[in-house]
Amino acid sequence: MQASKLEKMAPINPSDPQDNVIYKRKWSEMRHLTYLTIFVLLIQAFYFGAVCAKETNDDQVTYTDFTLNIGDRIDIGDYQVELIEIQSTKDGIVVIRVSKVGGALDEQRAFLQNSANNFDGGSENNGITITVTDIPDDQSAKVRIEYQEILGTPRRHASERPAAQLDKPILSVQESFDRNQMNVGDEVKVTIAVKNIGTGQALDIKAEDTPPLPEFSYIAGYPPKIKETLDPGESDSAVYLMSAVKEGSIRVPAIQVSYADSKKNARSNNSEPFNVLINPKSKANLAIKLTVPGPIQVGGKGVLNVSLSNMGTATAARIELEGEIRPPEGLEVTGLDKSFFEILPEKEVNYSAVLSGIAPGNYTVRLKASYDGGDGAMIQEGTTEVVVLEQEYKYQYLLLIIPIIVIIAWMYRRYKVYKY
Amino acid sequence: MLNVLMLGVGQCGNRILDAINKESFGGGGASRLAKYCMRPKFPSRVETLAVNTAVNDLKELRFTTAKDRLHVPNLHGVGANRNVGKQAFMDNRDTIMGEIEKRGDFDLAFVITSTSGGTGSSFSPLLINELKRQYPSITVITVAVLPFREEGSIYLQNAAFSMRELMEVDAEGIILADNQYMKRYSGDIASAYDKINSMIAQRLLFLIESLDSEMLSVTDLGDFKTVMNGGLRIGTMGFYQADGKNQSIKDAIENSLKPGNLLYPANVSEDAARAMIIIQGSREYLDVDQITKEVEKLSASAGHVFKGIVIKKGYPKVLSIFTMASAPELESIYAQAARGMQDEKEKRSRSRKQLDDAFAHIEDLEEIY
Repeated sequence: MQASKLEKMAPINPSDPQDNVIYKRKWSEMRHLTYLTIFVLLIQAFYFGAVCAKETNDDQVTYTDFTLNIGDRIDIGDYQVELIEIQSTKDGIVVIRVSKVGGALDEQRAFLQNSANNFDGGSENNGITITVTDIPDDQSAKVRIEYQEILGTPRRHASERPAAQLDKPILSVQESFDRNQMNVGDEVKVTIAVKNIGTGQALDIKAEDTPPLPEFSYIAGYPPKIKETLDPGESDSAVYLMSAVKEGSIRVPAIQVSYADSKKNARSNNSEPFNVLINPKSKANLAIKLTVPGPIQVGGKGVLNVSLSNMGTATAARIELEGEIRPPEGLEVTGLDKSFFEILPEKEVNYSAVLSGIAPGNYTVRLKASYDGGDGAMIQEGTTEVVVLEQEYKYQYLLLIIPIIVIIAWMYRRYKVYKY
Repeated sequence: MLNVLMLGVGQCGNRILDAINKESFGGGGASRLAKYCMRPKFPSRVETLAVNTAVNDLKELRFTTAKDRLHVPNLHGVGANRNVGKQAFMDNRDTIMGEIEKRGDFDLAFVITSTSGGTGSSFSPLLINELKRQYPSITVITVAVLPFREEGSIYLQNAAFSMRELMEVDAEGIILADNQYMKRYSGDIASAYDKINSMIAQRLLFLIESLDSEMLSVTDLGDFKTVMNGGLRIGTMGFYQADGKNQSIKDAIENSLKPGNLLYPANVSEDAARAMIIIQGSREYLDVDQITKEVEKLSASAGHVFKGIVIKKGYPKVLSIFTMASAPELESIYAQAARGMQDEKEKRSRSRKQLDDAFAHIEDLEEIY
């Protein structure tokens, strides 16, 4: 108000010394007034700040986390919070009872995990807010309680009731083949063994052995069936038969067994994956070796040695040997056609046939073996060349040499007779 | 079978014996190879022995086996000296006769020798004597070869004395062959010798074969001895073989007696004392009538003629053997030998006188040095 009054006075000229003194005096007064105003304002601000700060501390919401076992209780203010039951760890449902001293509140409510539940308007309104933050198992849960500090400090009271016995089924799963190496065509027996090594009954047991392995054809017993319910310590197994159809190294995947406990909590377990080797199909392989020591002469006889070796991995059975000579005239063979019941793998059978030379020439002896090689009828052939020579007089040259020697000896003798 | 011993004494005898051995192999050039391939084929059992004092002469033999060559060691021959030869024989008589004795017993022995050389002319008479002494029953025939007349006075002298000694020994006879007479068969001396040797060999073997054969008309060793004992006991042989142009047996007999086919120059009709005709050939050529007529014709001049006929395939062959009642050619040889001896004696006397005259120049002088 004074300032406005001053501003309405005659204007002051600074260049006027008189005005200048007046001006300086007025300016000093305004400056002292400004300082005083600021000081007052600061005092007021400090006062209101202190009052307001006191009011905020009294209504501040805080929280405390607790791990509660079933039956444990938290007391805060007049409130009592008790963990009644873990209904489902899978679904995150816990039953908690909240009561208030004096009976003003007594409520048992199912809590959904991570969902805040307000009582008496919640912590913002002098009530409490309870949130289940974790359910480690079916016997305990982590609980967060939010409250105003004015309610005091929450305290946990352990339950005096004995801990409830665990009701937890655990299934061990084991899958095995009766052999880890097989041949194509071999049957293999697969055993799936499940045992409840837990403390609770396993319900709704299902073995999931999928997908079927393409290297096998499933013969019987597939898919494996396990008892739907296994009490603790009880086991069950399922067996099915497969036939290897494709060679190779196979990684047998884990089989998953799903089950539920008595509280319908779904559980599962896997077997360990493992490798099996499928070798090519086992079959016999007869090798025929025909050996003739050397040429034979017309009118002479020779020996044809026959060797049958089973180079395969299966037994050759019902072996029929049939010989053939080309050209058919000029060479006779006896004892070449034979039959053998079986030749085991890596075994050998030998026999001999007699060759008789009739006319000189080169002949081909062909021996055909028909047999059951484990993969149906098989045929194997072996050939050899036989040379029939003209009858040779081994020492024919002596017919020439001996007479020459005799003549020379005779002439030398005669020469000596006449040598004087 | 006759057992025949054929002794070739001296160079000439050796070569004739070698020719006989050659004929036993078939003769000709093929015999050179045949001797290495076959054994000698004699008509009878014939043993041969070549005796010589000159080893080189023995080495020249080609068809006589080494065991049938006997070297009488006397340096290198006797140098045509009969006295040296006789001494050599006497010194080695046992050796020589031992070699003969090794060959067994014999019915007939031929001593083939030259009359002119050293060894043959000196050994043969002594050898014959020894044969007759050791084998009294053996028939010994000397085959004596007379020398070429121009070979020199020593050879003629040897021939003269040797023939005389051969005549004196107790042999059954002498078959003469005259080189001088037969050299007409060949131009050069070497060929003549071979031809003569071959002729003598063929005839002797023919004779042996015939004597040892089954004859149509029989002649044997006894007949042969009778023939050789006739006349001077000096005989010779004639031979003829018919050919395809003329197979007449009559002509064959006549030709065998002609001088041209004899080993010694003789006239059968005038000189023959006894004779033997041996005929060989295929039956179709041997006409007995003709043979008989020819033999009768010969008998008219020769006194007695033995005939033998051997049937053997081939053209007629005729061997005629006869002994002579006279040997005019021998007389000429002796005359020539005597002249030669006289000439040599005179020449030696003159030479001696000339030498004595030469020595007379220094008769009273002494050697001065």
